[in-house]
Amino acid sequence: MKKLLAPAALFSLGALVLSGCTDNNVSAASDGSINVVATDDSCTVSTDNAPGGTLKFNVKNDGSKINEFYLLADDGLRIVGEVENVGPGVSRDLVVLAPEGSYFAACKPGMVGDGIRSAFTVTAAADGQQVSADRATLQKTATDQYTAYVKDQAEQLLRGTKDFAEAFATGDEKTAKQLYASTRMHWERIEPVAESFGDLDPILDAREADLAEGDQFTGWHRAEKDLWAPENYTKMTEKQRQEIADGMVENTQKLYDRTLKLSFTPDQLANGAKSLLDEVATGKVTGEEETFSHTDLWDFQANMEGAKIAYQDLKPLLEGTDDKLDAQLEKNFTSLQGQLDQYRDGDGFKYYDELSTKQVQELAAGVDALSEPLSKLTAAVIK
Amino acid sequence: MLGNFLIGLREGLEAVLIVVLLIAYLTKTDRRNLLPRIWAGVAFAVIVSLGFGALLTFGPRGLTFQAQEIIGGGLSIIAAGLVTWMIFWMAGASKTLNQDLKNQVDKAATGSAWGLVMVGALSVGREGLETTLFIWAAARSTGETWQPLLGAVLGLIGAIAIGLLLHRGIVKIQLSKFFTWTGALLVVVAAGVFSYGVHDLQEAAVLPGIHALAYDFSAAIPPSGWLGTVLQGVFNFIPATPWLAAIAWWAYLVPVMFFYLRKTASPPRAAKTRAAAAS
Repeated sequence: MKKLLAPAALFSLGALVLSGCTDNNVSAASDGSINVVATDDSCTVSTDNAPGGTLKFNVKNDGSKINEFYLLADDGLRIVGEVENVGPGVSRDLVVLAPEGSYFAACKPGMVGDGIRSAFTVTAAADGQQVSADRATLQKTATDQYTAYVKDQAEQLLRGTKDFAEAFATGDEKTAKQLYASTRMHWERIEPVAESFGDLDPILDAREADLAEGDQFTGWHRAEKDLWAPENYTKMTEKQRQEIADGMVENTQKLYDRTLKLSFTPDQLANGAKSLLDEVATGKVTGEEETFSHTDLWDFQANMEGAKIAYQDLKPLLEGTDDKLDAQLEKNFTSLQGQLDQYRDGDGFKYYDELSTKQVQELAAGVDALSEPLSKLTAAVIK
Repeated sequence: MLGNFLIGLREGLEAVLIVVLLIAYLTKTDRRNLLPRIWAGVAFAVIVSLGFGALLTFGPRGLTFQAQEIIGGGLSIIAAGLVTWMIFWMAGASKTLNQDLKNQVDKAATGSAWGLVMVGALSVGREGLETTLFIWAAARSTGETWQPLLGAVLGLIGAIAIGLLLHRGIVKIQLSKFFTWTGALLVVVAAGVFSYGVHDLQEAAVLPGIHALAYDFSAAIPPSGWLGTVLQGVFNFIPATPWLAAIAWWAYLVPVMFFYLRKTASPPRAAKTRAAAAS
């Protein structure tokens, strides 16, 4: 018989650990209970909605029959929580963990039938409160996917930078010019991440116009100026070119090494997507980014792709909770891509100085149209 | 008050019935010296349930309903297993008892005494947590009115009284019929306990199919009425039974009853040999 004692004890313990305890004191300030008054023919719930998380129903039986109270899922079948044996005159609590969604509250006087039902809505949880294990899994999947994407882009950036640096240093201007825009796209796709390294970003991506007093002009735009030399510009010496090339490779290697240790949160993805669009609006649409090469549309495309990847990784979190935002983002991404596709030229794009003022204005309007719903993404994914 | 009385009665009967049959058996076989062990098991279950129930009611943390159902359902299934073991053990013992080989019985009873304690503890414990949560809720409500608590306590007392009457009736049964009848009754009760355990796990969504009903007698036999209360208390009868719980009931009852009846019907081997030797 002792053989049975251990499993029995383990089972009870296991049940406790697995299903867990739940907080009796939902809110310390005011009890936070939702009052349910049940009689033999009525079921009065004090509110028909509550924020997601731990809900506490205080069920009072004012009738003469034994009652039960259920919180049912939106299919009206699945029991999210129940409390049985609410005898006449007795109050019992149902404490239940409920994520955002639609539910039914039901009293069952005499423990018979489907019960007296009413709709009950659980709204978004208070900031930072984790309400659903499923949602946590979705968030983890999203950030894992994005982390992998960032590493992949950083690796391609490093490889491309090495090729570019070699061509640039050896004076192979034709190859260097070809590689310039396409390699920078890897940078532009993960720009918010790259910019988060405050020491590397100015070295690699500072524009001449933005340099502060005493700053060295290095990195991509230094090479750009040399390749697409403006009038009255003195070309770099071979030694100078080698220095710039070495610095780019060295610092991109650092950037790559650091991305290997990165991890993200869903709000960082969403905010990153928004800031990529802001990059487009402030730098690319204005044509300021690539002053000499005028390859701004490559950057435009890459910024938008980076934002779209973040959005697509987060998409499962919107499904079922904010389908409207999801549909709007999908539509606006597609339409902005459509606008941009008009300016495709072979593998690349038209140069920015070939665009008319009207065309630039249209692109700016498309960016704004996407930027607006994108600013709502963060709030939608962290609930 | 009647409603609370009926809850107390139902939960009480569920806990008391197996204990009563167990005590009747020990009394009948003149081994009252083992009764304290049964009481120890029962007392253990009562104290643990009361303490745990109070902690969950008045303490800072409660149990999720799933946890309650998983504990109740799991203990019920374990209890059904233990009772099954006890039934067959009793059936075996009854054979030897009929041959008046009391020494062997005593040996067997002593050896399995801790098993009996477990049966006692689990019979009470499986319903204990749910019952005490209800009792404490009723006690907490007494600030407004004392009736719910009184009703619940009277219900429990009623269940114990019925248990005592049952005990007296069973003890009066002729010895040769005693084991067969109590055993068969226990098989039916255990089938109910097993099926009830499955039902609890369905409610906790550990097992599926809570809404696929095999039958629904809740209109004819209201679960809050007297008949429903006694049927559920004694046989764990659920008026609206899901298929899985119904199948569990039959799947337990048919084979166990078959093997039980075969075991009690066939003459014991030892007796046969001895009879042959005597002639």
